[in-house]
Amino acid sequence: MNLTFYNDRATWLHRLDPRTKIGGVLLIFVVCLCFNHPLFIAGILASVLAIFTAAKSLKVLWKLRFLLVLLFVFSVVLWPFFIKGKTILLEWHGLEVSRESLLYGLAMGLRLTTFVSAGLLLLATTKNEEITNGLIRLGIPYPVAFALATAIRLAPTFADAGATIVQAQVSRGLDLDSKNIFGRFKRFAPLSIPIFISAMRYTNFLAMALESKGFRPDAPRTSYYEPQTTGRDWLVLGSLTLILAACLYMRVALHWGIIISGRL
Amino acid sequence: MTSSIVFDHLSFSYQNTTAPALQDISGEMSRGSFTMVMGHSGAGKSTLCCAINGLVPRFLRGDYVGRVMAEGMEAGKNSVPDMARAVGIVLQDFEAQLFSTNVELEMAFGLENQCLPKAAMEERIHAYLRVVGLEELLRRDTATLSGGQKQRLAIGSVLAMEPPVLVMDEPTTDIDPEGRHHILSLIRRLRTQERTLVVTDLDAEAAVQADQIWLLRDGQLLAKGRPAEILTDSSLIESCGIRPLATIALFQEMNWPGQPLTVDAALAEIENQGLLRPRRPEGRNISVLNHGKVILETRNLSYQYPAGSTNALNDIDLIIHEGDFVAMLGQNGSGKTTLAKHFNGLLKPTTGYMLVRGRRVNSYRRDELPREVGYVFQNPDHQIFAPTVGEEVSFGPRILGMDGKTLERNIAEALDATGLSGFEDKNPFLLNRGERQRVAVASILAVKPAVIILDEPTTGLDYVHQLDTMEMLKRLNQLGHTIIVITHAMWIAEAYARRSILMKEGRILLDGPTSEVFSDETMLAAASLAPSDLIRLRNRLGLAAMTLNDMVKELKSEAVSPRSF
Repeated sequence: MNLTFYNDRATWLHRLDPRTKIGGVLLIFVVCLCFNHPLFIAGILASVLAIFTAAKSLKVLWKLRFLLVLLFVFSVVLWPFFIKGKTILLEWHGLEVSRESLLYGLAMGLRLTTFVSAGLLLLATTKNEEITNGLIRLGIPYPVAFALATAIRLAPTFADAGATIVQAQVSRGLDLDSKNIFGRFKRFAPLSIPIFISAMRYTNFLAMALESKGFRPDAPRTSYYEPQTTGRDWLVLGSLTLILAACLYMRVALHWGIIISGRL
Repeated sequence: MTSSIVFDHLSFSYQNTTAPALQDISGEMSRGSFTMVMGHSGAGKSTLCCAINGLVPRFLRGDYVGRVMAEGMEAGKNSVPDMARAVGIVLQDFEAQLFSTNVELEMAFGLENQCLPKAAMEERIHAYLRVVGLEELLRRDTATLSGGQKQRLAIGSVLAMEPPVLVMDEPTTDIDPEGRHHILSLIRRLRTQERTLVVTDLDAEAAVQADQIWLLRDGQLLAKGRPAEILTDSSLIESCGIRPLATIALFQEMNWPGQPLTVDAALAEIENQGLLRPRRPEGRNISVLNHGKVILETRNLSYQYPAGSTNALNDIDLIIHEGDFVAMLGQNGSGKTTLAKHFNGLLKPTTGYMLVRGRRVNSYRRDELPREVGYVFQNPDHQIFAPTVGEEVSFGPRILGMDGKTLERNIAEALDATGLSGFEDKNPFLLNRGERQRVAVASILAVKPAVIILDEPTTGLDYVHQLDTMEMLKRLNQLGHTIIVITHAMWIAEAYARRSILMKEGRILLDGPTSEVFSDETMLAAASLAPSDLIRLRNRLGLAAMTLNDMVKELKSEAVSPRSF
């Protein structure tokens, strides 16, 4: 299983300053919070998908389709039970589902999907080193930025090791599909312990290799990749800010895009 | 010559251990020299490497006595990042050293730490990518490189920092033969420059080109000297867990004069001294292949990885009989492991069939297949999880529903066969790599599968442990188990497998008795493989034997009368 998200293409999105992309993703997050009507959020999601297409990176989303669908379905199924609405559709032993809560659940599912997609958009178009660089230039302390970028970098490696470990234990007869709850506890150790140990070993080696190459988190270093801020970056940030302002106006002044008022 | 590295009575024991990792090491390596450090696993080779740049004792802590100087800097007194100015090190686990998005940025990492300006970085990156032969791959994602390319990138990224000392800890371990060949020739090129090289390796054939060899045993520096002095003493290096050079061993066994270090030297010696009459290869013993019951069979089997665009396996038709001992050979990516993972149903063919005892793999219940086909993965640490060896070994049989007397008997037999009797209560994580490998085999064996597949069972093991492992597999084969070994170590296939399957690009290139497959050096070369020195000698001399002992017998039985003794 390959969990590397970066998709090496030469699109204008790839060339944006990482700071613009980090800022842009945050703006999209806030825009998502402006509405809780599913149609409005679906519109935002559609725009994010359009940007994905422009970045020629839809395949990155496709890689994570199961996770995205899972998040969406969970939200849609669970939210309605925790929200009260006016138009009751179903009532059963004190649990009730209303038209509003259903729509709200749908909106939350879409919102979660949009969040994850926007985050993936950043990862798909920005190299790890660029993210580190962007975070540092945004004032994040180097060790924090480096740790964050390393965590993103190591995820696919550990996923790989995890897949091998699953195969090794399945070869010994471990049944991952068993429905027995005790069985489930029993199969926790055979998978988690080797994964934990290989992760420890790996990070230890990595730390040794970094130090041996003269790396220290607190020392100054130059950067091979120096992002350039161009007019395009300002254009992107400016447009997103305008969009956010427009959305806030719609929500606050016009009361658009609201299923349940008083909630994000 | 001025000395570049000086060890001055260095002793070191790791924290929480009693046995010292290094004991009273003293010696010098002169500037521009190439030193090969050899010894069994656990002899202290890696510790010695890490002591040169101060990882020992600054990162790996413990009791440290004595002193190590590298290019005038004392390793224990300076921080590891400071030592990086004098010493570059390529650690054993090359996978864990690469963490940048692409080749270019990986090369840049060390240079960024040296605060080089961008233009200077670019110049160095291009220069050193050329040295390691990766200049075409500037923008490639490091995860998509082959093992050999990754290792060369790891070396290149350290070289780019231009350290006067370069240390490489087992740079050819876990790399396929072609990758190994590239790395050895890279080392040969590197030594022509003003740079001190320290390399550890388990293979005597790689040490021939060194200026000096340091031989370690149980943390002590047993001997140091030129290759011609050290490698010619077969019993000495064998006592250090190193497989002796085939040429030296043969000449010693035959009481021939001369100590040739290479096949070419040996052939020249034989011809010049008239040790053998010129002969034509004729009447070779063709070993007869086993024709027992069919146990594994593939029919037009093809496989495509879900994300892949080309087939990983193409139209494989293969029959494996009960009681066979098979070696699967080929470069990384040739399809060996992919094919083997079909044998126990881990992968399902995209088209075609996989049959076990004539039944489709899909028709087996989940708990049936592991009893027929056991699969030992390359890295034992990917499966060991239990607090004791006994529990680890009993995991498989238990989960398949064995208990009581049968379970006890199976575990006892598995431990016995792997030489682990008495280890039941030991913690598997505290055993050495060879022992952990045997625990992994025992845990598969306890289920008593008819077929045992082993993926690279000897990687990371020294010669003694490799011999142990292979002798164990030989015994299991004699007990009736079918053994399938995926390996990069040619001598293992030569000495143990009755049948060899040569794979390339998802197809079977050659399949037959090992003695025949290894006679066909052209075909092996087509798969980017070459026989070991012993078999190359055998082929040149037109012999039939596949092991040193048999070769000596064959030669002696022919009453050769040398002209000049």
